[in-house]
Amino acid sequence: MTGPLFNLKKAMKKNVFQDFSFSEERKNAVKETIRRKHSQQQLHVWQEKTIIAVLELLQLQSKHGYDISTQLFQKQEFSFQGEEGQLYTLLHLLESKKMITSEWINERKYYTLALKGKKCVTGYYTESSKSFLELKQLMEECTYEFKSY
Amino acid sequence: MNELEQITIIDDVMEDKEQLITQLMDEYSDGILYLVYTYVKNRTIAEDLTQEIFLKCYEKLDQFHHQASLKTWLYRIASNHCKDYLRSWHYRKVSLTEKIWDYIPSKSKEVEEEVIAKHQGDNLSQAVMSLPIKYREIVFLHFYEELSFREISKVTTVNINTIKTRMKRAKEILKEKMKEEV
Repeated sequence: MTGPLFNLKKAMKKNVFQDFSFSEERKNAVKETIRRKHSQQQLHVWQEKTIIAVLELLQLQSKHGYDISTQLFQKQEFSFQGEEGQLYTLLHLLESKKMITSEWINERKYYTLALKGKKCVTGYYTESSKSFLELKQLMEECTYEFKSY
Repeated sequence: MNELEQITIIDDVMEDKEQLITQLMDEYSDGILYLVYTYVKNRTIAEDLTQEIFLKCYEKLDQFHHQASLKTWLYRIASNHCKDYLRSWHYRKVSLTEKIWDYIPSKSKEVEEEVIAKHQGDNLSQAVMSLPIKYREIVFLHFYEELSFREISKVTTVNINTIKTRMKRAKEILKEKMKEEV
Protein backbone atom coordinates (compact mmCIF):
# COMPACT_ATOMS: atom_id res chain seq x y z
CA MET A 1 0.00 0.00 0.00
CA THR A 2 2.87 2.37 0.65
CA GLY A 3 3.69 2.14 -3.04
CA PRO A 4 0.65 3.96 -4.43
CA LEU A 5 0.67 6.45 -1.54
CA PHE A 6 4.03 7.73 -2.67
CA ASN A 7 2.25 8.85 -5.81
CA LEU A 8 -0.25 10.81 -3.75
CA LYS A 9 1.55 14.12 -4.11
CA LYS A 10 1.73 13.85 -7.87
CA ALA A 11 -1.85 12.63 -8.16
CA MET A 12 -3.30 15.36 -5.95
CA LYS A 13 -1.27 18.07 -7.66
CA LYS A 14 -2.52 16.92 -11.02
CA ASN A 15 -6.15 16.48 -10.06
CA VAL A 16 -7.35 17.89 -6.76
CA PHE A 17 -5.18 21.01 -6.70
CA GLN A 18 -5.01 21.72 -10.40
CA ASP A 19 -5.34 25.45 -11.17
CA PHE A 20 -5.73 26.08 -7.47
CA SER A 21 -3.51 28.63 -5.79
CA PHE A 22 -3.69 31.34 -3.14
CA SER A 23 -4.07 34.31 -5.48
CA GLU A 24 -2.39 37.72 -5.30
CA GLU A 25 -5.81 39.25 -4.59
CA ARG A 26 -6.20 37.02 -1.56
CA LYS A 27 -2.70 37.91 -0.36
CA ASN A 28 -3.42 41.59 -0.81
CA ALA A 29 -6.65 41.24 1.14
CA VAL A 30 -4.62 39.86 4.07
CA LYS A 31 -2.09 42.70 3.83
CA GLU A 32 -4.87 45.28 3.59
CA THR A 33 -6.53 43.99 6.76
CA ILE A 34 -3.19 44.03 8.57
CA ARG A 35 -2.57 47.61 7.50
CA ARG A 36 -6.02 48.65 8.69
CA LYS A 37 -5.39 47.12 12.10
CA HIS A 38 -1.98 48.76 12.17
CA SER A 39 -3.36 52.25 11.51
CA GLN A 40 -5.91 51.83 14.28
CA GLN A 41 -3.07 51.15 16.67
CA GLN A 42 -1.20 54.14 15.30
CA LEU A 43 -4.19 56.31 16.03
CA HIS A 44 -3.77 55.41 19.64
CA VAL A 45 -0.06 56.11 19.47
CA TRP A 46 -0.06 59.54 17.91
CA GLN A 47 -2.88 61.02 19.81
CA GLU A 48 -1.08 61.63 23.05
CA LYS A 49 1.51 63.95 21.55
CA THR A 50 -1.07 65.46 19.25
CA ILE A 51 -3.36 66.31 22.12
CA ILE A 52 -0.49 67.94 23.97
CA ALA A 53 0.50 69.89 20.87
CA VAL A 54 -3.03 71.22 20.50
CA LEU A 55 -3.31 72.15 24.17
CA GLU A 56 0.08 73.87 24.11
CA LEU A 57 -0.97 76.11 21.25
CA LEU A 58 -3.79 77.43 23.39
CA GLN A 59 -1.59 78.12 26.42
CA LEU A 60 -0.95 81.81 25.76
CA GLN A 61 -4.09 82.91 23.96
CA SER A 62 -7.39 81.78 22.52
CA LYS A 63 -7.31 80.66 18.92
CA HIS A 64 -9.73 79.54 16.27
CA GLY A 65 -9.55 76.25 14.44
CA TYR A 66 -7.78 77.41 11.30
CA ASP A 67 -5.04 79.08 13.36
CA ILE A 68 -4.54 75.91 15.35
CA SER A 69 -4.36 73.89 12.17
CA THR A 70 -1.68 76.08 10.54
CA GLN A 71 0.34 76.39 13.74
CA LEU A 72 0.34 72.61 14.17
CA PHE A 73 2.06 72.41 10.81
CA GLN A 74 4.60 74.98 11.96
CA LYS A 75 5.24 72.77 14.97
CA GLN A 76 5.88 69.85 12.61
CA GLU A 77 2.73 68.15 13.83
CA PHE A 78 1.25 66.58 10.71
CA SER A 79 -1.32 64.23 12.22
CA PHE A 80 -4.19 66.14 10.66
CA GLN A 81 -2.63 66.57 7.26
CA GLY A 82 -5.10 65.61 4.61
CA GLU A 83 -7.83 65.12 7.17
CA GLU A 84 -8.13 68.55 8.77
CA GLY A 85 -11.71 67.78 9.74
CA GLN A 86 -10.39 65.42 12.40
CA LEU A 87 -8.92 68.39 14.25
CA TYR A 88 -12.42 69.72 14.89
CA THR A 89 -13.50 66.33 16.12
CA LEU A 90 -10.62 66.36 18.59
CA LEU A 91 -11.34 69.95 19.66
CA HIS A 92 -14.94 69.03 20.24
CA LEU A 93 -13.88 66.06 22.35
CA LEU A 94 -11.42 68.12 24.38
CA GLU A 95 -14.18 70.61 25.02
CA SER A 96 -16.56 67.92 26.20
CA LYS A 97 -13.82 66.67 28.54
CA LYS A 98 -13.53 70.24 29.86
CA MET A 99 -9.89 70.51 28.82
CA ILE A 100 -10.71 73.56 26.76
CA THR A 101 -13.59 76.03 26.50
CA SER A 102 -14.89 77.82 23.46
CA GLU A 103 -16.80 80.95 22.56
CA TRP A 104 -18.08 82.53 19.40
CA ILE A 105 -16.49 85.87 18.47
CA ASN A 106 -17.30 87.48 15.11
CA GLU A 107 -18.73 84.25 13.74
CA ARG A 108 -15.61 82.33 14.60
CA LYS A 109 -15.21 79.85 17.37
CA TYR A 110 -12.28 80.58 19.66
CA TYR A 111 -10.85 77.90 21.88
CA THR A 112 -9.26 78.62 25.27
CA LEU A 113 -7.28 76.33 27.50
CA ALA A 114 -9.23 75.41 30.65
CA LEU A 115 -7.70 74.67 34.04
CA LYS A 116 -7.89 70.92 33.49
CA GLY A 117 -6.07 71.31 30.18
CA LYS A 118 -3.36 73.43 31.79
CA LYS A 119 -2.76 70.75 34.40
CA CYS A 120 -2.59 68.17 31.67
CA VAL A 121 0.17 70.04 29.82
CA THR A 122 2.24 70.73 32.94
CA GLY A 123 1.72 67.17 34.08
CA TYR A 124 2.94 65.89 30.76
CA TYR A 125 6.27 67.69 31.09
CA THR A 126 6.86 67.24 34.81
CA GLU A 127 5.71 63.65 34.43
CA SER A 128 3.61 63.98 37.56
CA SER A 129 1.94 60.65 37.96
CA LYS A 130 -1.53 61.95 38.74
CA SER A 131 -1.83 64.11 35.64
CA PHE A 132 -0.19 61.37 33.66
CA LEU A 133 -2.90 58.95 34.69
CA GLU A 134 -5.54 61.52 33.81
CA LEU A 135 -3.99 61.96 30.40
CA LYS A 136 -3.88 58.22 29.85
CA GLN A 137 -7.52 58.01 30.75
CA LEU A 138 -8.35 60.83 28.41
CA MET A 139 -6.38 59.13 25.69
CA GLU A 140 -8.39 55.99 26.08
CA GLU A 141 -11.65 57.87 25.99
CA CYS A 142 -10.55 59.82 22.94
CA THR A 143 -9.35 56.75 21.13
CA TYR A 144 -12.55 54.99 21.94
CA GLU A 145 -14.66 57.85 20.69
CA PHE A 146 -12.50 58.27 17.61
CA LYS A 147 -13.10 54.70 16.67
CA SER A 148 -16.83 55.02 17.03
CA TYR A 149 -16.92 57.97 14.64
CA MET B 1 12.91 55.94 26.48
CA ASN B 2 10.85 58.89 25.37
CA GLU B 3 7.60 58.58 23.60
CA LEU B 4 8.83 59.41 20.16
CA GLU B 5 11.39 56.63 20.32
CA GLN B 6 8.66 54.29 21.48
CA ILE B 7 6.50 55.23 18.54
CA THR B 8 9.33 54.60 16.10
CA ILE B 9 10.06 51.22 17.61
CA ILE B 10 6.43 50.18 17.48
CA ASP B 11 6.34 51.29 13.86
CA ASP B 12 9.44 49.24 13.04
CA VAL B 13 8.07 46.15 14.72
CA MET B 14 4.78 46.49 12.88
CA GLU B 15 6.54 46.83 9.56
CA ASP B 16 8.71 43.81 10.35
CA LYS B 17 5.64 41.80 11.21
CA GLU B 18 3.91 42.78 8.02
CA GLN B 19 7.06 41.91 6.10
CA LEU B 20 7.23 38.53 7.79
CA ILE B 21 3.62 37.70 7.00
CA THR B 22 4.25 38.62 3.36
CA GLN B 23 7.21 36.24 3.29
CA LEU B 24 5.21 33.49 4.97
CA MET B 25 2.45 33.90 2.41
CA ASP B 26 4.88 33.73 -0.48
CA GLU B 27 6.41 30.58 0.88
CA TYR B 28 3.55 28.66 2.46
CA SER B 29 0.21 29.98 1.22
CA ASP B 30 -0.36 27.23 -1.33
CA GLY B 31 0.66 24.54 1.15
CA ILE B 32 -1.72 25.95 3.74
CA LEU B 33 -4.45 26.29 1.12
CA TYR B 34 -4.13 22.62 0.17
CA LEU B 35 -4.08 21.49 3.77
CA VAL B 36 -7.22 23.52 4.44
CA TYR B 37 -8.85 22.08 1.33
CA THR B 38 -8.25 18.53 2.52
CA TYR B 39 -10.21 19.44 5.64
CA VAL B 40 -13.10 21.38 4.12
CA LYS B 41 -13.23 20.06 0.51
CA ASN B 42 -14.43 23.37 -0.89
CA ARG B 43 -12.20 25.79 -2.77
CA THR B 44 -13.86 29.06 -1.82
CA ILE B 45 -14.14 28.12 1.85
CA ALA B 46 -10.51 26.97 1.76
CA GLU B 47 -9.45 30.38 0.39
CA ASP B 48 -11.47 32.25 3.01
CA LEU B 49 -10.07 30.15 5.83
CA THR B 50 -6.50 30.51 4.56
CA GLN B 51 -6.95 34.28 4.61
CA GLU B 52 -8.16 34.08 8.21
CA ILE B 53 -5.26 31.81 9.13
CA PHE B 54 -2.65 34.34 8.00
CA LEU B 55 -4.39 37.08 9.95
CA LYS B 56 -4.39 34.82 12.98
CA CYS B 57 -0.65 34.28 12.52
CA TYR B 58 -0.12 38.02 12.39
CA GLU B 59 -1.94 38.42 15.68
CA LYS B 60 -0.19 35.49 17.33
CA LEU B 61 3.28 36.26 16.05
CA ASP B 62 4.37 37.45 19.50
CA GLN B 63 3.54 34.01 20.86
CA PHE B 64 5.96 32.26 18.53
CA HIS B 65 9.04 31.48 20.56
CA HIS B 66 11.00 29.22 18.25
CA GLN B 67 10.24 25.99 20.14
CA ALA B 68 8.88 24.74 16.86
CA SER B 69 9.86 25.55 13.32
CA LEU B 70 7.88 28.37 11.79
CA LYS B 71 6.35 25.92 9.35
CA THR B 72 5.07 23.50 12.00
CA TRP B 73 3.74 26.45 14.00
CA LEU B 74 1.93 27.81 10.96
CA TYR B 75 0.48 24.42 10.04
CA ARG B 76 -0.69 23.90 13.58
CA ILE B 77 -2.61 27.17 13.54
CA ALA B 78 -4.10 26.15 10.19
CA SER B 79 -5.09 22.69 11.40
CA ASN B 80 -6.71 24.08 14.54
CA HIS B 81 -8.51 26.75 12.58
CA CYS B 82 -9.98 24.15 10.22
CA LYS B 83 -11.12 21.94 13.06
CA ASP B 84 -12.73 24.93 14.75
CA TYR B 85 -14.49 25.68 11.51
CA LEU B 86 -15.75 22.12 11.09
CA ARG B 87 -17.10 22.24 14.63
CA SER B 88 -18.70 25.63 14.12
CA TRP B 89 -22.39 26.31 14.06
CA HIS B 90 -22.09 27.85 10.61
CA TYR B 91 -20.54 24.74 9.11
CA ARG B 92 -22.97 22.35 10.69
CA LYS B 93 -25.92 24.44 9.61
CA VAL B 94 -24.67 24.79 6.03
CA SER B 95 -23.77 21.14 5.70
CA LEU B 96 -27.20 20.17 6.99
CA THR B 97 -28.76 22.30 4.27
CA GLU B 98 -26.59 20.53 1.76
CA LYS B 99 -27.71 17.17 3.03
CA ILE B 100 -31.31 18.22 2.50
CA TRP B 101 -30.44 19.17 -1.07
CA ASP B 102 -29.11 15.67 -1.54
CA TYR B 103 -32.67 14.40 -1.40
CA ILE B 104 -33.87 16.83 -4.02
CA PRO B 105 -32.73 15.90 -7.51
CA SER B 106 -31.41 18.89 -9.40
CA LYS B 107 -29.29 19.80 -12.34
CA SER B 108 -26.82 21.82 -10.26
CA LYS B 109 -26.09 18.73 -8.20
CA GLU B 110 -24.99 16.89 -11.32
CA VAL B 111 -22.77 19.77 -12.34
CA GLU B 112 -21.24 19.83 -8.91
CA GLU B 113 -20.48 16.13 -9.06
CA GLU B 114 -18.90 16.60 -12.42
CA VAL B 115 -16.65 19.31 -11.02
CA ILE B 116 -15.68 17.13 -8.09
CA ALA B 117 -15.00 14.22 -10.40
CA LYS B 118 -12.80 16.43 -12.53
CA HIS B 119 -10.83 17.66 -9.55
CA GLN B 120 -10.44 14.25 -8.01
CA GLY B 121 -9.97 12.39 -11.23
CA ASP B 122 -7.81 9.58 -9.89
CA ASN B 123 -8.88 6.87 -7.50
CA LEU B 124 -6.07 7.44 -5.07
CA SER B 125 -6.79 11.11 -4.38
CA GLN B 126 -10.48 10.34 -4.21
CA ALA B 127 -9.92 7.53 -1.73
CA VAL B 128 -7.73 9.74 0.46
CA MET B 129 -10.20 12.62 0.34
CA SER B 130 -13.01 10.33 1.45
CA LEU B 131 -11.17 9.18 4.57
CA PRO B 132 -12.46 10.34 7.96
CA ILE B 133 -10.67 13.52 9.00
CA LYS B 134 -8.39 11.98 11.61
CA TYR B 135 -6.90 9.69 8.97
CA ARG B 136 -7.08 12.16 6.11
CA GLU B 137 -5.01 14.81 7.89
CA ILE B 138 -2.12 12.51 8.74
CA VAL B 139 -2.04 10.86 5.31
CA PHE B 140 -1.94 14.30 3.70
CA LEU B 141 0.70 15.67 6.06
CA HIS B 142 2.89 12.59 5.68
CA PHE B 143 2.61 11.75 2.00
CA TYR B 144 1.90 15.15 0.52
CA GLU B 145 3.70 17.52 2.85
CA GLU B 146 6.32 14.86 3.65
CA LEU B 147 6.31 15.68 7.35
CA SER B 148 7.76 13.16 9.79
CA PHE B 149 5.50 11.56 12.41
CA ARG B 150 7.17 13.75 15.02
CA GLU B 151 6.29 16.89 13.04
CA ILE B 152 2.76 15.67 12.43
CA SER B 153 2.45 15.14 16.16
CA LYS B 154 3.37 18.80 16.70
CA VAL B 155 0.96 20.04 14.06
CA THR B 156 -2.03 17.98 15.16
CA THR B 157 -1.18 17.76 18.90
CA VAL B 158 -1.84 14.03 18.66
CA ASN B 159 0.51 11.60 20.39
CA ILE B 160 3.08 10.07 18.07
CA ASN B 161 2.04 6.48 18.81
CA THR B 162 -1.57 7.32 18.08
CA ILE B 163 -0.43 8.72 14.76
CA LYS B 164 1.37 5.46 13.93
CA THR B 165 -1.74 3.43 14.76
CA ARG B 166 -3.95 5.73 12.73
CA MET B 167 -1.60 5.57 9.79
CA LYS B 168 -1.76 1.78 9.85
CA ARG B 169 -5.54 1.89 9.97
CA ALA B 170 -5.67 4.53 7.22
CA LYS B 171 -3.65 2.31 4.92
CA GLU B 172 -6.01 -0.60 5.58
CA ILE B 173 -9.05 1.50 4.76
CA LEU B 174 -7.40 2.81 1.61
CA LYS B 175 -6.49 -0.70 0.52
CA GLU B 176 -10.15 -1.74 0.86
CA LYS B 177 -11.34 1.29 -1.03
CA MET B 178 -8.90 0.82 -3.88
CA LYS B 179 -9.88 -2.83 -4.14
CA GLU B 180 -13.54 -1.87 -4.51
CA GLU B 181 -12.67 0.58 -7.27
CA VAL B 182 -10.78 -2.02 -9.26
